[in-house]
Amino acid sequence: MAEIPEAHATAAAQNAPRIGSDPDEPTPAEMLALLESQQRRVDSALLAPIPWLYGIWGTAWLVGFLVLWSAWPGGNPWFRIPGAVAGWTFALLLAASVVASAIFGMRINAGVRGASDFPGAVYGISWSLSGFAFAALGIGLISNGLSPELASVYFPSAYGLMAGTLYLGGAALWRSRSQLVLGIVLLVVGSVAPFAGQPGNNLVLAIGGGGSFLVGAVVTAIGLRRARG
Amino acid sequence: MELDPVIHAAARLRMTATLARIPVGDRISFPRLQELLDMTAGNLSTHLRKLEDAGYVEVYKTHSGRTPVTYLALTTTGRRAFEDYTQALTSLLDGQDGQDGQR
Repeated sequence: MAEIPEAHATAAAQNAPRIGSDPDEPTPAEMLALLESQQRRVDSALLAPIPWLYGIWGTAWLVGFLVLWSAWPGGNPWFRIPGAVAGWTFALLLAASVVASAIFGMRINAGVRGASDFPGAVYGISWSLSGFAFAALGIGLISNGLSPELASVYFPSAYGLMAGTLYLGGAALWRSRSQLVLGIVLLVVGSVAPFAGQPGNNLVLAIGGGGSFLVGAVVTAIGLRRARG
Repeated sequence: MELDPVIHAAARLRMTATLARIPVGDRISFPRLQELLDMTAGNLSTHLRKLEDAGYVEVYKTHSGRTPVTYLALTTTGRRAFEDYTQALTSLLDGQDGQDGQR
């Protein structure tokens, strides 16, 4: 669709000849402005839950990995959290985020059914399936003698790489630039984190991963607010 | 230039503009459409009937449990009519710019 600057549209609207004889009939410029503002409104309404999703996951990653980092010797220099408490906190944050994002995720495209149902459902299920697969691999490695230290290198990175890959899929499905950027960042964060050593890898995931989600939340929120006008 | 009278009314233009944003193959529920347009159910129904009579909108009635739900989508004709309308608007504006020497 051709885009015309708003100021131009308004000026044109004032000078424009009327199409019909009715003086109350809107001018083409007024109609085009109405059309464009309605479509911007629809786009932002359908995508409104996205900043919330990023915000929820950003908080979970930031707090969760900081808590894990604080549980290991050589981690947080200010205070130490008992390992069991850290593990449960992380698990609870993850579970809460899964529930919250399922609720918010349903609001994206709420009331829209049809051809997009299948890709949407497959994408949703991909998260659970991949989550189980990567967890099973970790448990398999542990049962083959992987030490707790190395397991705490494997799990955070596996999780980061899984999320990064899935966001790339989401970017392709919905032509979403924010998911593309997030996917690449998470792949980088997940693959470089082990080089920070253990438990520093958790800090890399907290700041790099959690931070990126939170930046994504702010950027998409600003974009949607602008679209709403 | 003739502008399609079925679309050339504020309410129906907003409705077709909204429906055109729903991807081909998808449908939107009546309540969600109403929410996106901020129109009363009665007003929306009246204008929907005009779009349906023109063959621009297809209405699908289904059930969610026991509750009847209506889904709506632009037909191929409706989508084409909306594109033609948009194009007609822009070319009218372009023509007008040419006369005014604004561009």
